[in-house]
Amino acid sequence: MAIGVKTVERPEVGASYLRATLKGMALTFKHLVRPITVSQQYPEEKYELSPRMRGTHRMAVHEDGRAKCVACGLCPTICPANCIKLIPAEDENGERYAAVYEIDEFRCIFCGYCQEVCPVEAIHLGVHYEAAEYSRERFVYDLERLCAQDHPYTQLWDPEDPASQ
Amino acid sequence: MDNDRKLINVTIDGIEVSVPEGKTILEAAERLGIVIPRYCYHPALSAPAQCRMCLVEVEGAPKPLPSCVQQVQDGMVVSTDCAEARKARRGVIEFLLLNHPLDCPICDAAGQCMLQDYAHETGQLRRRAVEPTVVLGRDHVTSEIVYFADRCILCTRCVRFMEEIAEEPVLQVIQRGHKGYIDTMTDELFEHPFSMNIVDVCPVGALVNEDFLFKARSWDLDQTASICPGCSQGCNVLLGTKEQRVVRLKPRPNPEVNSHWMCDYGRREVVRWGAGIRAEVPMVRESDRLVAIDWSRALDALVEALSEASGGAKAIVSPGASNESLFTLRSLMERVGFEGGYFHVTTGSEQVLKGFPKLALREDRAANARGAELLGFERVDYVYGALLGHRGVVFVLEEALDGAPEDFGEGVELFIYIGSHLSPAAGKADIVLPCPIWAEMEGTFTNFEDRVQRFNQALRPPGLARPIWLSFSVALARLGAGEPFTSVAAAFGALAEELGVYSGLSYERIGLNGATTAAAGSAAAARR
Repeated sequence: MAIGVKTVERPEVGASYLRATLKGMALTFKHLVRPITVSQQYPEEKYELSPRMRGTHRMAVHEDGRAKCVACGLCPTICPANCIKLIPAEDENGERYAAVYEIDEFRCIFCGYCQEVCPVEAIHLGVHYEAAEYSRERFVYDLERLCAQDHPYTQLWDPEDPASQ
Repeated sequence: MDNDRKLINVTIDGIEVSVPEGKTILEAAERLGIVIPRYCYHPALSAPAQCRMCLVEVEGAPKPLPSCVQQVQDGMVVSTDCAEARKARRGVIEFLLLNHPLDCPICDAAGQCMLQDYAHETGQLRRRAVEPTVVLGRDHVTSEIVYFADRCILCTRCVRFMEEIAEEPVLQVIQRGHKGYIDTMTDELFEHPFSMNIVDVCPVGALVNEDFLFKARSWDLDQTASICPGCSQGCNVLLGTKEQRVVRLKPRPNPEVNSHWMCDYGRREVVRWGAGIRAEVPMVRESDRLVAIDWSRALDALVEALSEASGGAKAIVSPGASNESLFTLRSLMERVGFEGGYFHVTTGSEQVLKGFPKLALREDRAANARGAELLGFERVDYVYGALLGHRGVVFVLEEALDGAPEDFGEGVELFIYIGSHLSPAAGKADIVLPCPIWAEMEGTFTNFEDRVQRFNQALRPPGLARPIWLSFSVALARLGAGEPFTSVAAAFGALAEELGVYSGLSYERIGLNGATTAAAGSAAAARR
């Protein structure tokens, strides 16, 4: 016989399971009359997220609806997942703007570097997690969609304790 | 010239160095690899010592001295990085930043800006001035160059370039102090064939090329040492490439050819090369149409067709093809009997840079006309005339065949077209082989004064395009002429061995700065 094999001794024929069954049923009835609510009734009830939760992106806009992005190219440069596509161009006032700005949320690792590096506080991560879509293409957010998002911006650090002390 | 002068000893940052008399502290420090910050100093321009950025501490001197004009003296003890010098530099940067906008994120010079670098290195974290900044706006100075007056630090490098090198003093500093800006005296824009050099000399982002504006960040560009193929001067350049495209050309300093400069024509034209529909796969004729096939079968077809060919070979080549491509083509033609190779050079007016007359936009607007000549190809005005009545094998190498007669390529035994682009005239070819453009391969060009210069590969060739020297050397080996070349260096080595003019040269010896042929070298020595 191989080492470590344990022979289980079966209870004798005629042993009663009644006591154990009643014990279990008692617990069940106890919860029936005095329930402990651990489960959350999602999606009717939603979880309260931390303001520092890093979810899908949102672009800040000017009052007239233009994106605040100046197409400096720092976010695609710093992005470790290489998920930001940016093509800068010149607008009618001779200013630099993002002609194409796309973030592939599938590739994104939600590190928050883009938000941290942005010199004009345009691109932000958002406190948002419900990103389900019916097609993969929809996970590439273009500029229009990034501007249209309305969830709160992520706080990368606590404003009262910026150095996390 | 250095040898004629007396050597004197100075100590810079604790290191002793012997330099010829008359050198400045800045130049002496450069020999030690110590880079003293500078704005107004440029190695090819005069030094007005007006930016005060290169101040250094000299033992015994009552105050810091500008190292770009202060000549070294025997026994001088210089300190470039002491507290005193740093303090002086920090002060200069603070003054420069008084009115300089902090628009690095949208400035084209970010990443290659000397003000950004030095402010980061020695500047202070916060602005102390409370006054509002002066805003001056922007304007065109030429039709292609935009001047951002706010960003200008008035180093006057551009003014001195136009005055000393272009010898056309059109730019001036207008106004004084914080109101100062660079402009022409009239309201009109100025035009100069070398005007874009003022963009290169600008240490900040005040003068920018509109063609490059907002296109790429400098850190996104891959830089490759190359040769400008725009004319027979062969300026040494750095190709800035991004996402499989040449975005810009910048001159690469070479005192023998182009110093620190290059012409606008080169920058403007060459970046557009490679556009259009490219030839990507080898094709051979099957009955009445061209069929795409792979390289091994294309070479089979080529070798078979050439070994069966009875008539001699004539060729139309491009004067922009590299020496190695032309050499292997010629070797291949010799297998069936070389009856003549011809090329046509597009010409334009010559534009000499007055302050550096060695450099000019040459009449021949092709990089390797001289190299083709040395290889026995003949310059003609009308290439198709030279092929009239020819019934043997016809090669066309990298030539677009614009303006070819309707019946070109008809009635010949074999018509082989090698090109980067598909030309309509190539439709009659029996074999079409795709080849890369100059930025997609390496090789050598021979410039107008027999200087051989190397260019490197910056881009990936499209599709199956591969260099001519490579595919033809394989075909040559199949025809029983030695081993195929495994590198462009080997191809050039074989060329140098065969052609007397290039004797003594090797791919390694040419290096990044190029080398003249023995004959041209002795001719230059005789002139001296």
